[in-house]
Amino acid sequence: MDAPTYPPSTAWEAPVKVPQPLSTRDSSLQEFLDDPIAKAIIAEEVQSFEARISNPMLKPHLGNMAPRSMVQFGMFKADALDRVDARLKDYYAKNGVPK
Amino acid sequence: MSADDLSLDRRGLLAAGAVGSLLLSAAGAPAAEARTVPLPGTGRDQPFDDGWLFRRGEGTGLEAVAVDDAGWRTLDLPHDWSVEDAPGAPSDTRRGPFDKAAVGGTATGFTIGGEGWYRKHFRLPGLAADARVEIEFDGVSVECDVWLNGKHLGGHLHAYAPFAFDLTPHLVRDGDNVLAVRVRNFGKNSRWYAGSGLYRQVRLHVTPSGTRVTRWGVAGWTSRIANGAAEVQVTTELDDPSTDAVLVTRLRDAGGRVVAEARSPAAAEVRQSLNVRGAHLWSPADPYLHRLESEVQRGGKPVDRLVQDFGIRIVTIDGTRGLTVNGEHVVLRGGCVHHDNGLLGACAFAQADERRIRLLQARGYNAIRSSHNPASRVLRGVCDRLGMLMIDEAFDMWHVSKLPEDYGTHFGTDWEVPLTSMVRSARNSPSVIMWSIGNEIPMRSTAEGVEWEWKLANAVRRIDPTRPATAAINGLLGPLLKASAATARPGKAGQVDNASVIFLDVPGYNYRLEDFERDHAEHPDRIMYGSETFPSEAWDYRELCARAPYVLGEFVWTAMDYLGEAGIAAPSNLSVGGAAIGLTGWPWVVSWCGDVDLIGDQKAPSRYRDVVWGRSKLELAVQRPLPEGKKEYLSTWGWPDELQQWNWDGHDGKPMTVRAYTPGDRVVLLLDGKQVGEKALKHEDKLRAEFTVPYAPGALEAVAYAGGREIARRKLETMGAPARLQVTAERPKIGRTRQDLAYVAIEILDAKGRRVADAERKLIVRIEGPAELAGFGSANPHAVGSFQASEAQSFRGRALAILRAKPGKGSVRVIVQADGLEGASVTLRQA
Repeated sequence: MDAPTYPPSTAWEAPVKVPQPLSTRDSSLQEFLDDPIAKAIIAEEVQSFEARISNPMLKPHLGNMAPRSMVQFGMFKADALDRVDARLKDYYAKNGVPK
Repeated sequence: MSADDLSLDRRGLLAAGAVGSLLLSAAGAPAAEARTVPLPGTGRDQPFDDGWLFRRGEGTGLEAVAVDDAGWRTLDLPHDWSVEDAPGAPSDTRRGPFDKAAVGGTATGFTIGGEGWYRKHFRLPGLAADARVEIEFDGVSVECDVWLNGKHLGGHLHAYAPFAFDLTPHLVRDGDNVLAVRVRNFGKNSRWYAGSGLYRQVRLHVTPSGTRVTRWGVAGWTSRIANGAAEVQVTTELDDPSTDAVLVTRLRDAGGRVVAEARSPAAAEVRQSLNVRGAHLWSPADPYLHRLESEVQRGGKPVDRLVQDFGIRIVTIDGTRGLTVNGEHVVLRGGCVHHDNGLLGACAFAQADERRIRLLQARGYNAIRSSHNPASRVLRGVCDRLGMLMIDEAFDMWHVSKLPEDYGTHFGTDWEVPLTSMVRSARNSPSVIMWSIGNEIPMRSTAEGVEWEWKLANAVRRIDPTRPATAAINGLLGPLLKASAATARPGKAGQVDNASVIFLDVPGYNYRLEDFERDHAEHPDRIMYGSETFPSEAWDYRELCARAPYVLGEFVWTAMDYLGEAGIAAPSNLSVGGAAIGLTGWPWVVSWCGDVDLIGDQKAPSRYRDVVWGRSKLELAVQRPLPEGKKEYLSTWGWPDELQQWNWDGHDGKPMTVRAYTPGDRVVLLLDGKQVGEKALKHEDKLRAEFTVPYAPGALEAVAYAGGREIARRKLETMGAPARLQVTAERPKIGRTRQDLAYVAIEILDAKGRRVADAERKLIVRIEGPAELAGFGSANPHAVGSFQASEAQSFRGRALAILRAKPGKGSVRVIVQADGLEGASVTLRQA
């Protein structure tokens, strides 16, 4: 039996992002903030969206939490997020997923 | 270092070893009981823990040699001032070490940080003129600065990583030396109890000035096992390698016999291969340790020698066989543990850690995750000796802080220091199976976070390419990325993977039970494990691991209760119809999510786990009745407030919820021999059966059957009133050094000798003989008082006294008394 090894790689090159539609289940709050289209849609469907996630305690976790995961804490309503997903789906169908 | 090694040292093997002893200075020194502490030998790894002076509080200039430290406390390490009683008079908001106003709040269990100063006076009579002296701290919480004879040697920012300073340039070789350490623990800097001070061991290394083994410079690993033989590769870094020096590397078996040896000319880096015939392998079931000796010789004489434990073993991880140790499949039955030792606070006593690991092994655990920091050397040593697998973890945050004053504020400039020392100091420990670069890291999936992921994982692989890099991932795994051939893990170039895990060899999933199989479908090469799991999911993970070999196992949060994150698993009694939110705060000071409580006893979830893991065929528990109009709210880490008792005064005739856990297919419940319930268990019941039984005093008994055959019985009897105490030493002897502890369990019994499961009484302990009280208290998760006073309150019929040996001869007697109860005592012999 030979032991496995885990050798280091040789150099840093920023990975390439694979185009992927955003959704309230599989994308983070930070991704929504970073994407102008998605941000505009969620801001229209969720009143005071940015204010709701402005708590300093939440700030470090915006990259790890999906909007949908915040429903259990009463921060968003599921029906509003359903509308966000429907509008995003519609947008991607018409315009394609941004690269 | 064992006694054998010390005796070898004393035989004068070291040319640099002209140090006969290291003495605390008596002249000019501390007025506080200056004691002479001859150290046991020369060479490396000399304990430097005894005879320190301590002052709690802020100060300036206290590093100066001339400081009058006459009034400072004398103490021996390890020491944690945050577990000592909080300054000021006790009150409703200040009890023992806990203060409701503490800045850390629930996170640190309402304990107090602040600033503390340590000083140590010492002499080095007879030190060879060319000897080099280095001091190594295994960990200081939280930040510190170190001075020798008033000269600043440096500082350290990571509370859990080892570090060292060269004392040589500022050493007074023929007179008094004063070492000063300022330790600071300010602000909101930790999400759990960190402790404060020199809470781990301190050691001196006396080496020659010429060629010597670099600090943590030996890396050994088993590359092949075949036909009973093993090939061990050893890379050794040498400082100041000279052409006339030789490196001899030996592997000795447990009996001291040399089983392999290699000799090479000295060089900055020496690679050697050791072939061991008839190799005795290390495994969790048989944690056989060899001794790896790295000896520098000049002119045929040894001048430096480093000896460390080493286990010959190969750990493999793949998607079809899971994790194997020497080819044997091992499902990780793991528990996350924080570093504290309960009533001892953060103090890293080897015997306390050994007790913790033995307690967990008794419950079936075969692995721990040192969350979320590098483990102490003594804990790692215990895992090596007892065969407990370990994931060693570096960080709880990277570039984005979780708390305003946490390590994230230093991470950008300091990260390499603790990461490097963690891996270099622990890479020869056979128990360590993975390096974790972080836990629930904020902003890890952003472009900056992904670059950090690569930097950290790659740094780990550069230092130790023999173990996989992991991290514990909560929430989302992030957007999909593709890495280039230069950056990707071997064989992964161009493959689509999530940002949070793209550079990890084995991602850990925190609380993502439902995601393993779904993610496997999308990423078939991904090998995973549950790096944090809920106690209630024990059965689900057992089943998952049985059908999905790419899931290596689980690490429950947590294996043992810990100080801080107070009440995250506290059950709350909420109004029926009210909001389902349970908030805890003062006086909760303990997490309450452990399988094992703060003093080492089993809690309710552990009994379920015993059944899930096949250690018990039947467990029986009763839900504490809820007040009228209330419902029990449990957090996701929580467990119903169950007790193994059938004493419910005032509830005669009222319905009680009784739960039985069994692998059987049927459970019958009897009250005083009369059947009061019967349940058939199906697969989806997950080994649980629940009954409602009107309460009546007597004997409640469950009988479990499988295929019509009785497999187990379990009985709970109504006990009488508390009548007497029982005091039991966990071991009959106590050692003689200041690192030696003895654990004494105290129980409240009824007249028939049965433990009264809910008894809370004030207990008073007295110790006679050469020992002192290091900790005294219970598993009560609330702030109820001191952990160090001679009075404490029992909780659920139990308490624990922890003794620390002190100089002197004779046996040690522990006497415990409580008002209205027959007292008890136990005597420990000196080892």
